[in-house]
Amino acid sequence: MDCREFCDQHVAFVDDTLAGIELVRMQRHLAECESCAKHDAKIRRALLLFRNLPSIEPSADFSRRLEARIRDCHGEHLLVTTQRNLRRGAIAATLASAAMLGYIGTTLYHHTDAPRDIVMAPVVATIPEAELSPITTSTPAIVASVSAGLSIWPAALFAEQVPVHFAHSKLELTNYTR
Amino acid sequence: MADIVRKQAVSVEGPSVRERLQAMDDSAVVTAFLGGEERAFSELVTRYQTRLLNFVYRTIGDREKAEDLVQEVFIRVYRHLHRFDRSKKFSTWVYTIASNLAKNELRNRSRNPLVLFQTVQKNFQDEDRPLQFEDTTSRPDDMYRKRHLREIVEESVAKLPEHHRNVFILRELEGKSYEEIAEITECNLGTVKSRLNRARNSFAEIIAPYVD
Repeated sequence: MDCREFCDQHVAFVDDTLAGIELVRMQRHLAECESCAKHDAKIRRALLLFRNLPSIEPSADFSRRLEARIRDCHGEHLLVTTQRNLRRGAIAATLASAAMLGYIGTTLYHHTDAPRDIVMAPVVATIPEAELSPITTSTPAIVASVSAGLSIWPAALFAEQVPVHFAHSKLELTNYTR
Repeated sequence: MADIVRKQAVSVEGPSVRERLQAMDDSAVVTAFLGGEERAFSELVTRYQTRLLNFVYRTIGDREKAEDLVQEVFIRVYRHLHRFDRSKKFSTWVYTIASNLAKNELRNRSRNPLVLFQTVQKNFQDEDRPLQFEDTTSRPDDMYRKRHLREIVEESVAKLPEHHRNVFILRELEGKSYEEIAEITECNLGTVKSRLNRARNSFAEIIAPYVD
């Protein structure tokens, strides 16, 4: 180890943060080099003086002054928070009012533009087509035509328009009345 | 009746909370404060007021101003503790604030040439010094010699460049690690080691004629 390397590593050497092998090399150089040994002693002595400087203590009223400042700070914080909340409330209320006024204005504008006669859209109504029941048997039509005294073809048409059971009930009724 | 019971409960609870806070590490005390325990802040003040005062005083050399700055540090801590990154060390954060305030003070002072570090130190009256500075059992000539030596040491530190002095005090007085110093001074590790080396050498050179 040369003197330059010794000086470079001197901070770690004084702070005792060197790895084992480096520490041994530094100690060996220290034992061999008078100049570096002097330098090391000078630094250590100066540091010893500085580290032994007496500590100063806060003055007696330090805590009292700090408490007062903290109280003020706390009060200020509360005041700022309250003001901020009030400001936010005021902004929210203004925005709500503006929105409400806008809505009312828009409604009124559309109301004045609207025609006085209400024109309704035409209503289109449709009648669902009646489900036609197919004539499964010609017997009820023939029976109906005979009992009503109609010719067979209108009776057949009629029978197509009415449910079969109706024709049956008619037939039965006719039978009973006879 | 309810009030009396509550008061009794508080008086019983008071000391135990304080004792529990004293037993906690910084991180737990910070958590307690953020959880609404106001006494936790007093615990932080108790832990750091003297250390910060010494650090700031050694950096700027003005005791009164150092007290004001330390108060300012605690006010800032009180205001911004909720923003503190709890994955980091509280002590590093608090020293960073103190270091920045001290740096600002020195910068402001350098703009005003009437107030110099040495001037301020000389204005620091003997009556202002705490009694424990002197060993009262010593003989008067010993006391004088010790006081004289202390003044020389303080003046020698004051002669160091500001960025060297800052690193020097953090390491030699506060016992901070290189990593912590790097974080507090916002420098890289290499710069910290280099500044510390230079500060030690300069300080030793300055003080050598007085102690040899």
